[in-house]
Amino acid sequence: MTVSAALRGAEVSAAANAAAGSEVAFDKVSVAYRGSVVLKPLTMSVAAGEILAMIGPSGSGKTTALRAVAGFVRPAAGRILIGGTDVTNLPPYERGLAMVVQNYALFPHMRVSENVAFGLNARGAARDLIAQRVEDSLRIVGMSKFASRFPRELSGGQQQRVAIARALAVRPRVLLLDEPLSALDAQIRRSMVEEIARLHADLPDLTILYVTHDQSEALTLADRIAILKDGELSAIGAAGELYRRPPNRFAAEFLGRANLLPVVVERVAQQSGFVEARLGETRVVASGADHPAGAERLLCVRPQNLTLTCEAERSNRIEAVLREIHWQGELTHLVAEIGESILRVVATRLPNPPARGDKLEFFFSPSDANLIVEDGSV
Amino acid sequence: MLVWSLSGRALVWSFAAILLGIVFVAPLAVIICASFSEQWNGILPTGFTLEHYRDAMNGAARDAVYASLVTGLVASLLALVTGAWAALALRARVDQWAGALGLLFFIPSAVPSVSVGLGLLVAFSQKPLLLNGTTAIVFVAHYVLISAFAFGNISAGLSRLAPDYEEVASCLGARPAYRLMHVTLPLVAPYLVAAFGLSFALSMGELGATVMVYPPGWVTMPVAIFGLTDRGDIFSGAALTMILVVVTLALLIGLERAPIRSAAPR
Amino acid sequence: MSDAVALAPRAARLNLGGWWVAPPLAVLALLFLYPLILIGRAALIDDSGALNLAAAWGVLNSRAFLNALINTAEIALASTIGCVILGLTLGLILAFAPFPGAGLVAQVIDTFIALPTFLVTLAFTFLYGSAGILNGALTSGLGLDHPPVDFLYSAWGVILAEVTVYTPFVLRPLLAAFSLVDRSQIEVASLLGARPLRIVRQVILPAALPAIVAGGSLCLLLTVNEFGIVLFIGAKGVITLPLLIYSKAIQESDYQGACAIAIVNVALSLALFSLYRAAARRLGG
Repeated sequence: MTVSAALRGAEVSAAANAAAGSEVAFDKVSVAYRGSVVLKPLTMSVAAGEILAMIGPSGSGKTTALRAVAGFVRPAAGRILIGGTDVTNLPPYERGLAMVVQNYALFPHMRVSENVAFGLNARGAARDLIAQRVEDSLRIVGMSKFASRFPRELSGGQQQRVAIARALAVRPRVLLLDEPLSALDAQIRRSMVEEIARLHADLPDLTILYVTHDQSEALTLADRIAILKDGELSAIGAAGELYRRPPNRFAAEFLGRANLLPVVVERVAQQSGFVEARLGETRVVASGADHPAGAERLLCVRPQNLTLTCEAERSNRIEAVLREIHWQGELTHLVAEIGESILRVVATRLPNPPARGDKLEFFFSPSDANLIVEDGSV
Repeated sequence: MLVWSLSGRALVWSFAAILLGIVFVAPLAVIICASFSEQWNGILPTGFTLEHYRDAMNGAARDAVYASLVTGLVASLLALVTGAWAALALRARVDQWAGALGLLFFIPSAVPSVSVGLGLLVAFSQKPLLLNGTTAIVFVAHYVLISAFAFGNISAGLSRLAPDYEEVASCLGARPAYRLMHVTLPLVAPYLVAAFGLSFALSMGELGATVMVYPPGWVTMPVAIFGLTDRGDIFSGAALTMILVVVTLALLIGLERAPIRSAAPR
Repeated sequence: MSDAVALAPRAARLNLGGWWVAPPLAVLALLFLYPLILIGRAALIDDSGALNLAAAWGVLNSRAFLNALINTAEIALASTIGCVILGLTLGLILAFAPFPGAGLVAQVIDTFIALPTFLVTLAFTFLYGSAGILNGALTSGLGLDHPPVDFLYSAWGVILAEVTVYTPFVLRPLLAAFSLVDRSQIEVASLLGARPLRIVRQVILPAALPAIVAGGSLCLLLTVNEFGIVLFIGAKGVITLPLLIYSKAIQESDYQGACAIAIVNVALSLALFSLYRAAARRLGG
């Protein structure tokens, strides 16, 4: 093959990738390992250019789902589609993807530039194209100066940048990130999260599947979040929406702290999207529509949405007895008792701190509260 | 940390020194001394000489060094290729046969070398494969005996290799052959080198199967050393043994120092 | 039901890669398994090609074979016990009372694994032989007429040589096991007033037991198979199974007899090998 033909070939394949689209679809994908089901039939789709974070505790099936997209595990049933084509039976190296893993997995016997060039070399791209792409990719992640280093001469954060450059160099349709930041310490992790966000802003067509157990990474980066539990999809939705209105207890608690108070539905106001419920003796209004009257539900209010001051829109008022108060500089954590339940409140300003044993009134807005089910799957 | 008192330590350490001295140091020391000695009738050897080494450098002994090196090289390379092949192939299998097949490749290390030699003698003294009386049968004997060790070493290395490297490689578009040549083999290179070194060392010292099958004209060092000591020429035997030890150790140390240091951490 | 149907063809496709094992397997079969089978055949069929069990039976009933079997078992057992005792002693000192340079010593002992076994026998000739250092010192020192030390040309010489050669095989797993023993446990025990021997018995040995069993069974296998040491010592009374096979085949050209004995020897070795594998698996798990 001549150089120009090879160059053309690589361009053609890149163009074909783009034309083929980069949306990912799981169609009733289930995975069994040694007789036990690790992923129950999963159906969801990721739009082209979207960042979907899959989160869940270990053993929830999130990594298995990612590995099924990569082609490392073969679904027991169901199909995986990338860009509308069924890739279930394609080997990993024909799927046009790239991957970044937790321990970076940089090839220790290759220099940084050789690592970044790996995918293009493996696909037989032309030399000029490879040189260009290596340069571009290293510049994007700010590692141009380190091109001739060996991975062992780099810090963890630098290695992860190289791993990302290596993935970007092949111009993948979909970028798979498997806990990419969990080996880094907290400070570097925060700056890498920002960097990945910036990267995606520069490459808006790149679809990213991001597996993590860290909900703050997911909330920062993801357009949408899929929460998995015991091999099942527990909740999926736009990041902010899912945080504000989780559908069930697991989703509510996995994305952050939540007060979940048992209530009974009294009256549904179909029009406004609000619902009236009874919490002990108190009557509260919360968002949520499709709850039948008389049903037992949980009232979900995030700790920071409860206040001690009454304002016009915070029409809900509940009474609780203060049990603990912890001042933590910027924030003050209050723990109060309401009936059988515990109420956690995070306050930013407390001019007159209450004392233990005080009976307090807490206020929250109906749009900050919603009714959810105990547990369930989507 | 177990023995705290100074006197207790001194006691334990001198005990260890005596034990190590008698069991490991003394045998090596006497062989070295004897290989340079004219006579040894009393407590100390008498007469320094290089005569035994000079003898070893020409004639039958030199042929033995040559035969051992060639045999070791051929058998170790073969064992390296089939061992790596089998270990790689078995790693790809995830069924219930993988364990049993792996065991099968280990079995040659359990069978006594004399019986391996006997088996080759019986099997290849008849058609369809007539190898008896050729140097090939010596290669085969050595190969069979060291193949399990090469396989074991490479398998151990592969099992320590995190799957991430190869998965990332294939995700980036590397086909199986490309991945093998550019990722897997370079990553396990230290184990391949170690396997080769161990195979070579074992081949250099192999005696049981070789005495069963060796043809006239292809006398390996151990067989030659046995011949010398059997005739009572134990000083020449000691010199040839030293050559064997030095060649083996030089090879092992040289391989250890080789610039192949890419074992990927798990 | 439809799931099972969908599964079947995919599973078959996945296993295709497994056939890569065929070439090395074929080499193993041709060069190792086929000769092994022919040993069995040769033991049962005489020169005329007829089935002849009597000859094999006669060999296995002979005094020479029974003596060799007993010798082999005795030497192997005694050597293994010696290896375990010596390995345990050295291991404990190297790991828990390390002297300066203990690490280097452990490495040097490790290289003994790569050296030919008969080296030690040859060295013993100079050390303990009838004209060796020890006897030389004793005869001149005490004015004796005859060399007083003559254990070398007996089973004891073989055992001592095998202990020297095979102790590293016990020491290696032992040191690995000792390195996993929690040091703070030992410190706490000695703070509580436990004497060293008590700590060894109650803390260290239980932790190292799997390694002792694994190393010991490997020793047993290797000592049963040992040939070079026995051949080099060349004592008349000390004939083991491998040596008997060698002398039958090479010196007497009695291949059928050699093959009959080889079957017993191989079976014994395979039994010990499975013992070792079981022990090693427990060590790993």
